[in-house]
Amino acid sequence: MSQLLQSLVDALSAGATLGLAALAIGLVFGVIRLANFATGEIITAGAYTLIFTWQLGWYISIPFAIIVAVLLSLLMELSVFSRMRAATPATLLIASFGLSFLLQRVYELAFTNNVQTAPVASELAQSISIGGVRIQMLSVATILLAALLLTGLQLFLTRTSLGLQLKAAAADFKTARLIGIPASRVIGLSFALSGILAAAVAFVTTVQTGAVGPTFGVPITILALVGAVIGGIDKISGALAGGFLVGFATSMLASWLPQDMSNFKDAYVFMLVIGVLLMRPQGLLIRGRGAVRT
Amino acid sequence: MSNADKGLSVVDLTVAYNGVPAVRGISLEVPAGQAIGLIGPNGAGKSSTLLSIMGAIPRGGTVLVDGIDIAGLPPEKVVRKGVSLVPEGRHVFAELTVMDNLRLGAVGRRDKSGYAEALENVLALFPILSEFSARQAGLLSGGQQQQLAIGRSLMADPDVLMLDEPSLGLSPTAVDAVFEALDVIRGLGKAVLVVEQRAEFTIAFCDRTYVLHDGEITLTLKPEDANNVDVLTQAYFG
Repeated sequence: MSQLLQSLVDALSAGATLGLAALAIGLVFGVIRLANFATGEIITAGAYTLIFTWQLGWYISIPFAIIVAVLLSLLMELSVFSRMRAATPATLLIASFGLSFLLQRVYELAFTNNVQTAPVASELAQSISIGGVRIQMLSVATILLAALLLTGLQLFLTRTSLGLQLKAAAADFKTARLIGIPASRVIGLSFALSGILAAAVAFVTTVQTGAVGPTFGVPITILALVGAVIGGIDKISGALAGGFLVGFATSMLASWLPQDMSNFKDAYVFMLVIGVLLMRPQGLLIRGRGAVRT
Repeated sequence: MSNADKGLSVVDLTVAYNGVPAVRGISLEVPAGQAIGLIGPNGAGKSSTLLSIMGAIPRGGTVLVDGIDIAGLPPEKVVRKGVSLVPEGRHVFAELTVMDNLRLGAVGRRDKSGYAEALENVLALFPILSEFSARQAGLLSGGQQQQLAIGRSLMADPDVLMLDEPSLGLSPTAVDAVFEALDVIRGLGKAVLVVEQRAEFTIAFCDRTYVLHDGEITLTLKPEDANNVDVLTQAYFG
């Protein structure tokens, strides 16, 4: 029973992390149809910042990591994607692959191929005992952080004019522009929010591993993209739910698959993904066939 | 500015898709306080005309709003110059409430201080929107959604209101309600440009109706032409 609870909390935490990463991708996709694979490199930039600045104190390191992630995200938009407004989603995706590989090489040149380490928030790596169940502090912190960010985002999207504009643009960008919502404002906002979410993911994963290399953000981005697609990348809530589901399933499989099969947990997750996409190609949370934007 | 300059003036408008002309140098006037119709068969270039005026697709020619050239402006800036489009198929934000849709319509206002008055006017014109203000827009009937789409455009306080097939998919009663509202909007001194498929109805309602055929204006009709079968046949079949 205690093992079940423990793995449940771990799975919730993994789901929350991937949910945030998928949301970072879904927010931008909703507005400009870009499934930004280079989100991984924003996560990596945030992680490097944490590693290199942690000794200055968390109150400097964390805001600094957020600023770096947001600036890199905006820089990607300004220097690459804003020049490709007429491109198809497939072309944009390929461009984001290119940008991702380019940034990985830049990280390699700047910080070498070796992993950089630092004890980022190492106190969160400890376990606590609640009613006889040992739970990792980081899992609890991740769930709380995700809840806080999602509540803040929800309040922003529903209670503020800017948030409402972003929500409208994510639902129907063409109509949003036709009624007077400035394209550059909502696109910039989506990239900035994506950067904040990527910084949160960077924090959680850096605490988890304590080591960052040039391809640090890639594995989580692949799973987040998969999650966003199966949840329904067309919808902000779909991307979030899909990311959560993939993270949750991966963690549960890691806990419950027999030892000799646990190396294949990703294969099981992708089998689940294929099954979902065969039954609901538009994603779990999209009604009908899903919107196709021209 | 004299009253004659107010409204929309389009001169030698051209639109092409991948080099294939869709609109071939049309000119039209939509004076303030008048409703002008644009009818024609499918593929005649009606929607392309409206979208190009909004700056949503590239165009050639000149578009003047209240005498000011709006060349090269993107849609969100065209709205700030006083032109609003109610798109074909309504395109309300289905997951947002009626009130949120109206709030979003006000983003493009030139005069932000007039929001409360604009909202009051829209709700007076379409009382059903007041009743359902907290309801998700996607749960409204087609006619109610059309009222919301028009109300949302009016929240930007446009001088020129353009509508792309506002009767599409609506019941006769809903169509009547929409055109009654358009009559009020015309009475308020707005310039109204309506693209429609329903020829007789549009010709009778509008002060003047242009017939668009293969990207060119082939006829200009007056309300008294509405029941003239020969004229209508010529309008659609050449």
